[in-house]
Amino acid sequence: MTCRPEYVKESSDPKEVVACIEERFGEDVQNLELREYKGGLEDAVQYHLLWLKVSRERFLELVDALREFDFLHFQIISGNDDGDVVTLNYHVALFREAGKGKRLGACVSVEVPKTDLVMPSLWERIPGVEYSEREMREMLGIDFDGLPNKALVFLPEDWNEDIKPWRRDETGPSEADVRELS
Amino acid sequence: MAVGAGKTYKVPIGPVHVGLKEPITAWLDVDGERIVDATIRPGAIHRGIEFMARERNPIQVIYLAERICGICSFTHIECFVRAVEDAAGISVPKRAQYIRTIVLELERIHSHVLWAGVACYTFGYDSAFNLGMILREKVMDVLEVLTGNRVNYGTGTIGGVRRDITPKVEKVLRDMITFYKNEFDLFYNVATDDPITMARMRNVGVLSPEDAVKYCALGPTVRGSGHRVDLRWSQPYEAYGELDVQPVVPQDLTGEVYGDVYDRFLVRVLEVYQSLEIIEKCLDDLPEGDLMWEPNLPKLLNYLKRADGTGVSSIEGPRGDDTHVVKLTGGEENVTWWKVRAPTYANGVSWPIMFRNNDLADAPLIINSVDPCISCMERMLVTEKKTGSKQVVTRAELLNRCREKTRKVMGA
Amino acid sequence: MKLDRYLDILTKSIWVFNCNSGSCNGCDIEIVATITPRYDIERFGMKLVGTPRHADALLVTGPVTKYMTERLKRIYAQIPDPKVVIAIGNCANSGDVFYKSYNLDGPVDNVIPVDVYVHGCPPRPEAIIEGAAKAVLKLEKMKEELQKAGAPQ
Repeated sequence: MTCRPEYVKESSDPKEVVACIEERFGEDVQNLELREYKGGLEDAVQYHLLWLKVSRERFLELVDALREFDFLHFQIISGNDDGDVVTLNYHVALFREAGKGKRLGACVSVEVPKTDLVMPSLWERIPGVEYSEREMREMLGIDFDGLPNKALVFLPEDWNEDIKPWRRDETGPSEADVRELS
Repeated sequence: MAVGAGKTYKVPIGPVHVGLKEPITAWLDVDGERIVDATIRPGAIHRGIEFMARERNPIQVIYLAERICGICSFTHIECFVRAVEDAAGISVPKRAQYIRTIVLELERIHSHVLWAGVACYTFGYDSAFNLGMILREKVMDVLEVLTGNRVNYGTGTIGGVRRDITPKVEKVLRDMITFYKNEFDLFYNVATDDPITMARMRNVGVLSPEDAVKYCALGPTVRGSGHRVDLRWSQPYEAYGELDVQPVVPQDLTGEVYGDVYDRFLVRVLEVYQSLEIIEKCLDDLPEGDLMWEPNLPKLLNYLKRADGTGVSSIEGPRGDDTHVVKLTGGEENVTWWKVRAPTYANGVSWPIMFRNNDLADAPLIINSVDPCISCMERMLVTEKKTGSKQVVTRAELLNRCREKTRKVMGA
Repeated sequence: MKLDRYLDILTKSIWVFNCNSGSCNGCDIEIVATITPRYDIERFGMKLVGTPRHADALLVTGPVTKYMTERLKRIYAQIPDPKVVIAIGNCANSGDVFYKSYNLDGPVDNVIPVDVYVHGCPPRPEAIIEGAAKAVLKLEKMKEELQKAGAPQ
């Protein structure tokens, strides 16, 4: 697959990116939205952000489709415990070096069922995801397939690994684990 | 420590050590004096802030957000507030946008001058450190007149700012800009024309342009490797849409890019000049208008209680891009979840790359060059694997080694 | 205050070691600002040393995270007697905004005994100098008691 080793200098129109994704993925992508942000003295449109949701099976394909436009810059994975699924939001960005107001940020949501908490890892494509994936592993309990270093990143070494701090069900921290300082 | 074939020693540094946002433990694989590899283990300042936000409403989370970091506190407030405005659909009046821009740039100046002073202190240039600190006090005075506190100013709020720029404040601001235009040149020349500074920082801690892209580096770290990446230019927010802010890269001044500590130093010093111009232009164009979208606090809280959605925002802080993600649920007063990605989080992944093939004496300088915040370096334990004997090296000795190298470079 | 009597016992100015146990760095920056030429605590002879074994006073900032509890206790044990502990900032005094978390072990006096509390978020450099002055007075009293108990000069 064609992947750019560094940032492109010319950007594509955000609507072109949207059209390409809709064409290739059709039904597997839901909630596709291109938001505009305004500001300044004339209240002009300053930049766009892309929001979409994809199924877990076609997630890697979507990442590779986005990488054809530019080297996908990875920002952070945020997530939440939503009942019987765990939702992960991957925040990425395209066209960082292309021009004034041309950066296109994207938020790719994936739902992971709690019965099978495994996601494919992006480490081979983008080595910068290491800390984020390790953090998701210790906070929400999701295993990443293909990540070499799976040690704890923020919690101390003597932490009980069965307690996942961000979960809201029985694996989350109980009242006894949370301490009131004053 | 003997230099032998195939003998590497693991030298632990930290957790409490110089120039770091979080006290971080690092293990350096050292062969003689050369660093072969490095492993980083963060986690000493994990306070569970995102967990604490689940019991607070968005206004209370503002005061939690500014205490994530003391140096870029307004950056975190601004980012969080923009994320909530994105989730709830609130627009900010024009005067508030300009005032926010001015405070952001003031914070950038104070952070870069602090960093430049500490970097000079690390390799032994104490007089530059003290000079930088005297210059920095001017910015702290302005921030105190404008917001009421030197550090952790609670100026931003959802929908605007809380304090106005009165004519008295404007006069103090313009005096500060004149002072810096006259005095900062002295510091710039002292720090950059000096041959010892250049010898000490050139080709130390190199991050190649390909590695900077692969490891998702941010801010002056990636600009020092030659890429024109700046969120104020490529994704403008607040008043930056009308200003012409270009990313500062070293090849504009020197013509070549090395990606080392000196290039990052140069990028930060030039950004101080850029910030002064931005503040002046904002002061000249400051529009009239309200300060807040909704000055009545209970009405604002009521509106936020009914808001529903996810908001994301990224802004350019002094160290790189800061990203906040917030989810608000309709009918609940508290924030559902909140995720913070501070810039040192992403820059820290590229430390092991920068450490390779450098001397042990350069370790404090390289840790500092990515601009973490101030802390102090604790003791280092040097263990010899074969005999198991331990030798304790203190922070003073590590810092001394850094300065000894400077003396060697000067004398030779 | 009988200043002459106290100055007889004061053989050297106190040397200070700074330990950050999980703070936001605001208090640490104000400590660095205290040694710079505008506020200049160095005119009293106080300086920041690089190792606890040379120090007389320990400055602690931040609510203590679980990672740092053990290390803080070790640093406290390495400072020779007589010593003073100064807790700087609201986080070290009582936790400040971080009052309920799964990874915090309490304000500093839950971990090591504290002698002087300096309030503020962050405290101004003038407040830190006042805290250091109170610590000097307390240290004098401690030295006096040690001498009465028979310690050598």
